[in-house]
Amino acid sequence: MKRFLAVAALLLGLVTVASVVACGGSGGSSENAGSAGGGSASGPTLRMVGGDPLTLDPALVTDAISATYIVEIFSGLVTIDKDLKLAPDIAKSWDVSPDGKTYTFHLRDDVVFQQTYRQVTATDFKYSMERAVNPDTASTVAEAYLGDIVGARDMINGTASQISGIEVVDDFTLRITIDEPKPYFLAKMACPTSFVVDKTQVEDDQRNWTKKPHGTGPFMVKEWKLGESLTLQANERYYAGAPSVKTVNFMLSGGSQLTMYEDDEVDVAGISINDIERALDANDPLHSEYLSADSMSVSYLGFNTQKPPFDDPKVRQAFGLAIDRDKIVEVVLKDMVPVAHSIMPPGLPGYNSSATAGAYDPEKAKQLLAESRYGGPSGLPKITLSQVGAGATAGNDIQAMVEMWKQNLGVEVEIQQTDQATFWQDLDKRSYQMFAAGWVMDYPDPEDILDILFNSKSHQNSTGYSNPEVDQLLVQARTEQDSAKRMTLYQQVEQLILADVPWVPLYYGRDHVVVKPYVKNFMLPPVVMPYLRYVTIDQ
Amino acid sequence: MQGLLPYVVRRLLWAPLILLAVSFIAFAITRFGPGDPLRVAMGQYSDPVALERVRHEEGLDKPFFEQYGIYLKNLAHGKLGESLTYRNRDVSEVIFPRIWVSARLGLVALLIIFAVGVPLGIFAALRQGTWADPFSISVFLFLQSVPVLITVPLMLLVFVLKLHWLPAAGWGGLFDKRIVMPALALSLPGIAGIARLTRATTLSVLREDYVRTARAKGLREFTVISRHVVRNSLLPLVTVVGISLATLVEGAFFAETLLGIPGIGKLTFDSVQGRDYNIILALALVLCSAFIIANIVIDIAYTVIDPRVRYERQRLG
Repeated sequence: MKRFLAVAALLLGLVTVASVVACGGSGGSSENAGSAGGGSASGPTLRMVGGDPLTLDPALVTDAISATYIVEIFSGLVTIDKDLKLAPDIAKSWDVSPDGKTYTFHLRDDVVFQQTYRQVTATDFKYSMERAVNPDTASTVAEAYLGDIVGARDMINGTASQISGIEVVDDFTLRITIDEPKPYFLAKMACPTSFVVDKTQVEDDQRNWTKKPHGTGPFMVKEWKLGESLTLQANERYYAGAPSVKTVNFMLSGGSQLTMYEDDEVDVAGISINDIERALDANDPLHSEYLSADSMSVSYLGFNTQKPPFDDPKVRQAFGLAIDRDKIVEVVLKDMVPVAHSIMPPGLPGYNSSATAGAYDPEKAKQLLAESRYGGPSGLPKITLSQVGAGATAGNDIQAMVEMWKQNLGVEVEIQQTDQATFWQDLDKRSYQMFAAGWVMDYPDPEDILDILFNSKSHQNSTGYSNPEVDQLLVQARTEQDSAKRMTLYQQVEQLILADVPWVPLYYGRDHVVVKPYVKNFMLPPVVMPYLRYVTIDQ
Repeated sequence: MQGLLPYVVRRLLWAPLILLAVSFIAFAITRFGPGDPLRVAMGQYSDPVALERVRHEEGLDKPFFEQYGIYLKNLAHGKLGESLTYRNRDVSEVIFPRIWVSARLGLVALLIIFAVGVPLGIFAALRQGTWADPFSISVFLFLQSVPVLITVPLMLLVFVLKLHWLPAAGWGGLFDKRIVMPALALSLPGIAGIARLTRATTLSVLREDYVRTARAKGLREFTVISRHVVRNSLLPLVTVVGISLATLVEGAFFAETLLGIPGIGKLTFDSVQGRDYNIILALALVLCSAFIIANIVIDIAYTVIDPRVRYERQRLG
């Protein structure tokens, strides 16, 4: 019996140790459960499932998930409003010099940092942008968002200790000079890289300051448990008035969103393709709580225009015309996304509703393939379509396309799934023949998609597309000061690209959620932008 | 017992060497495998200049052995480095809270596996030849073959949406009702294995002479079973605790993701996806250490429980 007891004691011992420590842990989480319960003394609470933010440092953020929190906590000179227009934020107004290169921002004098209530001045903006490009900060997006400012690249390269193009005129006047008169520069200023941070806090604790950062946005961080939860609290000193919702609780650890929603654990839940039929069914209680909105993004098939067989435009056209995107969207994607007929997605300034990416035409597709340099299906080399994926089976839409190419063109296409780390790397090397990918707009300007992806000199040009006329128009559009003329230039560029078919636009993005009826004014922003302060809750 | 201490010391001395080998293999796989943590972090933007600048800042452009040397040096100082996906966060800060969550969950699942599996196995062995034996084992064999991807949604439907007994997701520690579903999801597939093993060992013990002797002495059946049969049939089970731990780690990913548990399952997946070298390495080392320690503890436990096992190799050698 003694020996048997020894086993029992061993097991019991483990349990006791575990439970002693667990008590400490569960104290913290019951507190957490209390705050998630809604309707607490602190005012209206919104409970959501959120993606796990990788950082809350505006200078470092590269992913859209982290950015959705950052734009609520921090703010910059300008922002994007509900109508997707560039709007004043901490800069109440600005003047642009006649040559279009110098921006003079007039700052509000009533903006303070959270917690410390220190007034935000032009010096803080200069500090924040110089910190973002400082090599020690190690931001991977410093060039992309601040590289247009005169002297920014010198500081990135370590040859200057400040950005010569940023000048503090007085406490509330900031002058920024850029290298060329680029109208889209202002749109970049609405992105987090240039947002203002509290120098005192950052310098005080370089590593830990983002755990409870002093931002200037409508919400501040109450508690951030890495990978578990992020609780935001209304900033009562927000210059445009405190938000109506006092606490926003994001659960970061995943879980079955719709089940949590139906069990009243969260107020908003994403709707996946498995649940869309329920949301669309008028007899289902979810139907009246369902909300969908376009997001400014586009999925596409990219062809490597430098590699056989897609070095022949006729082959690219044939592949594009042989897929029935309407049918794929209807049958496979259950109409959750709209079919794309252009490169620039709807909502983007310059979007052209009359642009046409070739419609389904299997006969013409066959004919084009026969006319191509490869003479038909038998002359083609082995074709592989690459896609991001971790599972054993490819996306149903991709499988449908492969089937359509087989039926309509008599071509076998192999699908290669790669994880994203390898995918991005290979895409940069242009090692794919054909790939399925998407582009999410970072700021609402056509430059952010057309110049970045189709200029033959851009590193982002993964299709290897090169059209001198397109290049020339893109350069012209960059600095065209007349906005209407500029958009016409971009539409011309889009037409030229669509005719050359380096891309087959597939679908535009659309988000689907259900929102509890007591949550009012909830919106699904098409690009990353602050929106939580518009939300109200009927108790 | 005199052979035990040198044995344990020898095992403990081997541990750092095993860890060193594991660290080298894992380090080489991360550095020479496809994919680049910085490139993934940049997402849809790629700027080769920025990429090389940050690579230099992070020391990832140094030669392989220099990087490995720096890693080992830091490791010797107890530093696991900095996460490459969670910017400006120490690896330890990212992984230990989650390991602690998964460890507690795993322990509870392990206890359930043994608490249900052992009596079930004994029950089946004693009912050998009746319908109850194959029936009880089949039920748990069925549960073993149902993947977590099915059991979790079923539990959500029943416990959350129909009965409203439990919340659908989250974690609140050992004494929070949210532990019920993940613990069940992780333990259900493991019960059958333990039950079958217990059944087999119990059956062999039942045929032992000392059981016949005990019965012949006129002991009550309950005493025979509890004192002579159960005790002896449990011994081999100690060995499989370690193996059960390994299967729990595998099952954790889906259960944690589906039930919103902030454990290592999802973190491991995300770190591999994001090529967060330092987190991958740290997880490999921590899990490896856990297995080494678990095995040593089991070996010690074995000698304590079963006097027939002695570490006498030393005397022979």
